[in-house]
Amino acid sequence: MIKVENLRKIFESHIKEPGLKGSIKALVKREKKIKEALKSVTLEIKQGEIIGLIGANGAGKTTLVKILAGIVHPTSGTATVLGFKPWERDNEYRKQMCLIMGQKNQVWWDLPALDSFILLKEIYQIPDAIYKKNVEFLADTLMVKDQLKTQVRKLSLGERMKIELMAALLHEPRVIFLDEPTIGLDISAQKAVREFMKNYQREFKPITILTSHYMEDIKELCPRIVIIKEGEFVYDGALSQVQRMMGDEKCLTVTTKEKVFKVNVPRESLAKKTSEIFSANDVLDLNIHDPSIEDIIESIMKNGMKT
Amino acid sequence: MTNWWRFVIAAEIRKILAFRTDFWITFVGQTLIQILIARALWQAIFESAGKEVMEGFTLHMMTLYYLLVPIGSKMLTGENVGFLSREIYDGTFNRYLIYPLSFFQYKTLTYLTYSAFYGLQFILVYFLYLIFQGNGITPSNVINLFLGASLFMIASYAYGMLAMFIELISLWADNIWTLMVMCRFFSFFFGGAYMPLNFFPMWLQEIVQFTPFPYLVSLPIRTTMGLASTIEIATGLGVLIIWAILFRLAASLLWSKGQFRYNGVGI
Repeated sequence: MIKVENLRKIFESHIKEPGLKGSIKALVKREKKIKEALKSVTLEIKQGEIIGLIGANGAGKTTLVKILAGIVHPTSGTATVLGFKPWERDNEYRKQMCLIMGQKNQVWWDLPALDSFILLKEIYQIPDAIYKKNVEFLADTLMVKDQLKTQVRKLSLGERMKIELMAALLHEPRVIFLDEPTIGLDISAQKAVREFMKNYQREFKPITILTSHYMEDIKELCPRIVIIKEGEFVYDGALSQVQRMMGDEKCLTVTTKEKVFKVNVPRESLAKKTSEIFSANDVLDLNIHDPSIEDIIESIMKNGMKT
Repeated sequence: MTNWWRFVIAAEIRKILAFRTDFWITFVGQTLIQILIARALWQAIFESAGKEVMEGFTLHMMTLYYLLVPIGSKMLTGENVGFLSREIYDGTFNRYLIYPLSFFQYKTLTYLTYSAFYGLQFILVYFLYLIFQGNGITPSNVINLFLGASLFMIASYAYGMLAMFIELISLWADNIWTLMVMCRFFSFFFGGAYMPLNFFPMWLQEIVQFTPFPYLVSLPIRTTMGLASTIEIATGLGVLIIWAILFRLAASLLWSKGQFRYNGVGI
């Protein structure tokens, strides 16, 4: 189980004015910038649950993942994962979790995947039989059997991501942090990774936190979502519920000569807003429909949750 | 505790062997070029000075000195020095925080693997030199070589800890490249890598004895060449161990403070 209470993280950075003058000034005096990446967030996730952590860039989702994976210390508040404080980096905890980062390689770049796996087997103390079974199972399911003996740096992006997934899951972790696992992948590779994660979740029932900018990932994998905006949770609940909560809105897709834009409008002001749009624009086409889940989440991330 | 360290060493060796061209250039080409330059340079110096012996070194001894210095220096700095600060800078350091192992142990192992690998080259080149010179390999050569190579391994550990200490400063200051260059320069210059310490003024030689530097390069090479006395070797060994412990403790202290500043950038 993951239990997060009033977790806060403040990052300090420095500001430098642009230009040569700014560079010289920064040599002597630097201005500090404080950013509150997480503002007292509270969360609970049960074993076997998979949640989607959604937010704009810089909203604080990766910071939360980094704290729960034990990479970063929080400024205040508490968090326990499987009963451990992650940032204390107890080996017993680290043996039960994994972090998969779409933008960062964790396997050794210059070695074939199998060499990395052998090393990970020893690091995680995976018994021989389980190691063999998992390599076979994961390679089969992810369809990378033929790539295991090739240097990782020579593989395609999609193949590398699959190898990263294999490396992270060899020790059958009970907690999985997936940070943008499908970033940069083509559509079929994205689909394969999603399908694999769905099956893996069904089979092994780990706690999974998924951060992704691709709504397809979220829709396919996460029955529960947490929307984070400027370091605060603005929604924590079922994905289906969000759509229902915003059900009294309609979405207008307007096509003019210059552009296509979308507006979410309360049902009762639909007629008024439509006429406003017609009078203010040279409208070529107007389509009224229920907002998609993407539209709703985008609207929440921009405007917050409706009360 | 399993024997994961054996697999870390094996993985590092596989990494060294992963690039054939680079391996042969480093293993053979670099050493050959350096020895040719050193030989030509010192031959000219000896000829222009009109001397057969300079500060206790004949031209043959000087050639051997400069044959062993580049390989010994490679043992000392390995290939991994500088990696840690880069990993902290770009966020790949995260992996050591996620894996259930001590990053100190892991890094030290990878570092010493390179040192041991170049240690093999050190032994091989020394034997080839003896054979080429027609002196043959005597038991005293073997003992001196064993002592010299062992001192180099301990020196490598001490230098590795010094480097780790400096690299962990990158948790405060992102770029510590200049510090690393300075560390390397001082270690090599005052260690006798650029010229034997006998050529330094006496007052400087005496000051340098209070630093770890002469024990990093000069002492292991002089031991290998049979130029160091037993007392010198024993004292040097003790001093090296003390410095290694001090650097290790300093690095641990830095990490215990600096880990709160690490923000895993790059993910």
